[in-house]
Amino acid sequence: MAAVTVGSLLQNPTLLLRPKSKTLLKPSRSLDSSRNRKVLHSRSSCFCSFKPSRSSHVVRANSSETALVDNFDTSSSDDVLYKETFPVKRIEKVEGNIFIRLDQSKNQQDWQLTVGCSLPGKWILHWGVSYLGDSGSEWDQPPKNMRPPGSVPIRDYAIDTPLEKRSKGEMFHEVKIDFNPNSEIAAIHFVLKDVETGAWYQHRGRDFKVPLVDYLKDDGNTVGAKREFGVWSGALQQFSNALHKAEASPPDSPNNESKDSKSNNRPLEGFYVEQSIVKEVSVDNFVSVAVRKSPETAKLVLYLETDIPGDVVVHWGICRDDAKRWEIPAAPYPPETTLFKNKALRTLLQTKATGNRSGALFTLDEEVFGFLFVLKLDDNTWLNFKEDDFYVPLYGKSSVLGQHGQSDSTSEEISSKSYTDGIINEIRNLVTGLSTEKIQKTQTKEAQESILQEIEQLAAEAYSIFRSSIVTYPEEDVSETDTDTIQPAVKISTGTGTGFEILLQGFNWESHKSGRWYLELKERASEISSLGFTVIWLPPPTESVSPEGYMPKDLYNLNSRYGTIDELMELVKSLHEVGLKVLGDVVLNHRCAHSKNQNGIWNIFGGRLNWDDRAVVGDDPHFQGRGNKSSGDNFHAAPNIDHSQEFVRKDLKEWLGWLRQEIGYDGWRLDFVRGFWGGYVKDYLDASEPYFAVGEYWDSLSYTYGEMDHNQDAHRQRIIDWINATNGTAGAFDVTTKGILHSALERCEYWRLSDQKGKPPGVVGWWPSRAVTFIENHDTGSTQGHWKFPGGKEMQGYAYILTHPGTPAVFYDHIFSHYRSEMAALISIRNRNQIHCRSKIKIVKAERDVYAAIIDEKVTMKIGPGHYEPPSGPQRCSVALEGKDYKVWEAS
Amino acid sequence: MEVWLMSSSQAEVCKTELGCRDLRSCFGKTNDKNKLFSRKPDKVSFDTQFSRLRKAGLRFTVKAVHSEPILEAKFSTSSKSLDKLRLFVGLPLDTVSDDNTVNHARAIGAGLKALKLLGVEGVELPVWWGVVENEMGKYDWLGYLAVAEMVQKAGLKLHVSLCFHASVQQRIPLPKWVMKIGESQSSIFFTDRSGQHYRECLSLAVDDLSVLDGKTPLQVYRDFCESFKSTFSPFIGSTITAISMGLGPDGELRYPSHHKPAKSGTITGVGEFQCYDTNMLNHLKQHAEANGNPLWGLDGPHDSPTYDQAPNNFFNDHGGSWESPYGDFFLSWYSSELVSHGNRLLSIASSIFGGSEVVVYGKVPLIHSWNKTRAHPSELTAGFYNTASRNGYEAVAEMFARNSCKIILPGMDLSDEHQPHDSLSSPESLLAQIRTTCNEHGVEVAGQNLASGGLEQIKKNMLGENPVNLFTYHRMGAHFFSPEHFPSFTEFVRSLNQPELHADDFPSEEGEATGSVQTSSDPNIHLQTA
Repeated sequence: MAAVTVGSLLQNPTLLLRPKSKTLLKPSRSLDSSRNRKVLHSRSSCFCSFKPSRSSHVVRANSSETALVDNFDTSSSDDVLYKETFPVKRIEKVEGNIFIRLDQSKNQQDWQLTVGCSLPGKWILHWGVSYLGDSGSEWDQPPKNMRPPGSVPIRDYAIDTPLEKRSKGEMFHEVKIDFNPNSEIAAIHFVLKDVETGAWYQHRGRDFKVPLVDYLKDDGNTVGAKREFGVWSGALQQFSNALHKAEASPPDSPNNESKDSKSNNRPLEGFYVEQSIVKEVSVDNFVSVAVRKSPETAKLVLYLETDIPGDVVVHWGICRDDAKRWEIPAAPYPPETTLFKNKALRTLLQTKATGNRSGALFTLDEEVFGFLFVLKLDDNTWLNFKEDDFYVPLYGKSSVLGQHGQSDSTSEEISSKSYTDGIINEIRNLVTGLSTEKIQKTQTKEAQESILQEIEQLAAEAYSIFRSSIVTYPEEDVSETDTDTIQPAVKISTGTGTGFEILLQGFNWESHKSGRWYLELKERASEISSLGFTVIWLPPPTESVSPEGYMPKDLYNLNSRYGTIDELMELVKSLHEVGLKVLGDVVLNHRCAHSKNQNGIWNIFGGRLNWDDRAVVGDDPHFQGRGNKSSGDNFHAAPNIDHSQEFVRKDLKEWLGWLRQEIGYDGWRLDFVRGFWGGYVKDYLDASEPYFAVGEYWDSLSYTYGEMDHNQDAHRQRIIDWINATNGTAGAFDVTTKGILHSALERCEYWRLSDQKGKPPGVVGWWPSRAVTFIENHDTGSTQGHWKFPGGKEMQGYAYILTHPGTPAVFYDHIFSHYRSEMAALISIRNRNQIHCRSKIKIVKAERDVYAAIIDEKVTMKIGPGHYEPPSGPQRCSVALEGKDYKVWEAS
Repeated sequence: MEVWLMSSSQAEVCKTELGCRDLRSCFGKTNDKNKLFSRKPDKVSFDTQFSRLRKAGLRFTVKAVHSEPILEAKFSTSSKSLDKLRLFVGLPLDTVSDDNTVNHARAIGAGLKALKLLGVEGVELPVWWGVVENEMGKYDWLGYLAVAEMVQKAGLKLHVSLCFHASVQQRIPLPKWVMKIGESQSSIFFTDRSGQHYRECLSLAVDDLSVLDGKTPLQVYRDFCESFKSTFSPFIGSTITAISMGLGPDGELRYPSHHKPAKSGTITGVGEFQCYDTNMLNHLKQHAEANGNPLWGLDGPHDSPTYDQAPNNFFNDHGGSWESPYGDFFLSWYSSELVSHGNRLLSIASSIFGGSEVVVYGKVPLIHSWNKTRAHPSELTAGFYNTASRNGYEAVAEMFARNSCKIILPGMDLSDEHQPHDSLSSPESLLAQIRTTCNEHGVEVAGQNLASGGLEQIKKNMLGENPVNLFTYHRMGAHFFSPEHFPSFTEFVRSLNQPELHADDFPSEEGEATGSVQTSSDPNIHLQTA
């Protein structure tokens, strides 16, 4: 029982109770989470002893009820005092196979990796690659030509590709990845995700890894013989050796990392392996109970029946009052009953003649208040009812007749309704049971945390929705009422500046390479200022495992590949001198560890913030954190920080304060804020009081059949939700606008630039003062090029964001390119006309090949090859700037 | 949020005829959906442990909890009656808006789950006349049915407030057809001395007059209640456990003597008498004539101050005409009109809902400003003839007792020390007075808050010598779930439940483990230890 109970307490609430919301919902049922591990250790017998599936046991409540009454009492059903059918869920494990095949495609040049799975369901391959020379366990995004159709990039490190059946009759779902072995790719990594349950399937607690270089010779020899289906017993062992880095130094593994890097010229060999996987499937059964009064004796007769296969033992007792304290009733007992440690009785159910049911008759005194039981199955699994004992109320039954079990639908309701009751009872039980046993404590702790988090996250969700219905609209009103005032009062509010900011991203993906970026930037300080920028975003300053700075290690060590702490302070000083505000790029979502825990997992931190694994979220399959579940999405390459821990928040607040004080940063660019709840961001911003702050909330836009949907409201709503969660203390990058600009420009679909209400379709249309518009950054463009803006059309993009409301952010590579003079002109138009983040915009044209808008009735702009001229009204316009497929006019 | 505290002695809440042994089983039966699981109204207790857990940095050690028992023991002796705790939350006022759609359904859904997990018993739902009855006699309950279903699904109870008033704040007016009648016939509204109409509810003087297209307001209210009852019959008694009947402005039994409700922290004026609509003046005239003083029936008190003024003239503490025979005549009449109005509405409610398994409530305001003066002017203008020398709540409590209804009393979050000194206000003593009076008449009092916060004071009211049975914490919404508020609310719930934990429930050293096994009600533990 314990295992079933605890397991479901920890997992099901997350899956069942939490409503679907992108920001909060995160299926966290990982096979290898540390939580499950603990459970497995403490209750291993239960989990391991599940039997392989025995087809399905379908609940047929109606027929079974009839059967029950028939069996139970043929005389009349009138004297049945109580009848109830309890649905029970058992977890059965279904075994299947994953196969992995590496072979050469027909043209002999390319190779193909095929991953398939024999179990039914929806499967997704979550995969990435590592390149030659990479150190550490990070994944990288594979090159575009490797990605099969239907792939979705998951930020910059992975791809999700659904497995598909090649044909209807096919047993396997599979995915094929083509690649060129001469590329720089060292290995393909993947895990398999079951979309339905959210479970991740890994190999020995790690990613599957298919090395493409330094492939073992002896493995290659046997490949040809293995190209058939069927379990090849020897393969598994070799396969795991071949596919995996040595974990706990298996003696028979000749393949290790040092070898990887030394020689990488061996030819690639194909192979085919299968590995069995076990999926947990819940099976519905029932237990029905009927009570009647015995006509002869003044006793109650209780009949219990179930369709659970195998030997079923009823572990039962009675209670005398509502406290449901188990007691052992007086004899007689049914046959096959034993006393269990003076605490309960155990009765083996007798199999019915019909075969698929078993049952027993219990005779009870009339004064008995209730009948309590749990079921023990023949594989040592305990079954209870919705986290509680099965309970049959008996008191008063002799006088209250006719409380029959309701129809099917009613019992459904009972279960959904009593589900939470069950949880609460369970918590209560766990709480009150604290004193009884040590193991109990662990469970209690986890159960409580899980429920507490549930409450917290539900509250957070409710909050963000309530907020959004309040906050989003006033903004629109403001912008409309503001139109009369020629210049809105300059008001500096925390985190959002004056509204007149123009941002420069002051680095690209290569900036670390010189080792003296701070010095180089310092030389350009006055130039940047004279171009009209007011805010500059500097690269992440901390010591980092990756040279670009996004894998921070010791947060207080500000000597990075961009320069030393002293150079940084000098730079900030010079930037301030020329009137620029400086944003620090702070990575709060994750942090790289300094050392390993006892299991060899990197999750112990060093430096001034020497956190232990309590600071790491508990639901990342890779890092055995002891913290709470993540309040957002996980970044898989490094331990994700558990911001629900007070000491973590306190330390981070102190750190931000230190950066403000010591370095002189004026605000923040917050990395990967999808990874944790926006409410924590608010906390950090309240504490560090930045002049300006902007968060990177980057997730995919919605596509239908490969075409981007016109309506990206859901996408921008997710960003708005995040801003709301921060209480509006931070802005967010307007990823929606960038995405829509891509489609509009690339495919000549300029109509996309107006939403149904005639407003800009991005975040900027809904909450302009919090939208930081951009067309490119170090991830999307630069040398990474994960999501590059349509080439040659950058100026159209800038003509859009630099004339529109929202706070525009310009990418370093663009301003210091041949676009420089055009962009400088755009910036000066913006400044000259005092366009600000809340400026009023009127879209006057959004057609196939042209988009035009008038901003603050002062600036008119058009982009696209189509024709547009501003109306020749009383207010005359003159062309201020003209370039390829864009044109800007000013009111004169 | 309403927090229901119920002691086992107060068994009249449940239907004792069911032959239940105690309250727990009684709740189990009042809701047959739940009969398999004994309701554990004390389930909120887990939270106690929770928050402590978190404070201990999530390291649940024996040490972390072990220091507590002394404190707990102290509590548990002082208020044993609190072992049954019921917790209710007010849903947003605009849960269902005028086009009968459920607003922020997703947020409410998440909120309901959070509350359920927190151990809340149920939620309160304002049901607006202006939303449901858009055409006379035609009721659209769809939105509310959807909410009731959500609540039921979440496994929570529902307390329905029937609102026969409007809410300016939420832009929920009276039904359009009523407002239309009011345009031509403004005498259906309360009117003050300067002739201003209060359009947020109907004047009590028209209760029995056929002013609504040939029907009297009482008939209309009755039809509304009947329709509610038949529509929601599947929920009544199971999910819906209580109904509060709207009695006047903001649902409260009072005259709209203050156009704005008294807020904590501001000095409110004394308010004005609202007896100037033609029907009220007619009543006054008849009453005066019947009393042999026809001259007294020509107008209201000529020297009463205006809304925002401090007590003077009529209300002078010494020599004010409130103490004169005329004053007594007028105030007796004015207050008895209010009490009879309450009686009319509550008898409708109890005749309709009395047979079903719901408790009927009515709301009585806490008009605490100026109650340190002898005249209690604010209470007088609101219709409570309660002065230094006269207990005006006797009649009110007696009226509730007669209709077997219970009282909801707001303002349990207010404390004297937070009142501006000059306001001469004492919410605490007024609260005590009303509650004592109700006690004497056997009328149960449930609590509510006026502002958000004040949790400490609420707690005091709930854990005092005379704990309230029920508390409505208003109200779910953005602020309620905000990081500024929700944690303190959680804490509040936790602290309310402390008393019920007994020393037995606390961990002891392992040696004593066997001892506590017996006190545990959970057989799971037996199994696991076994």
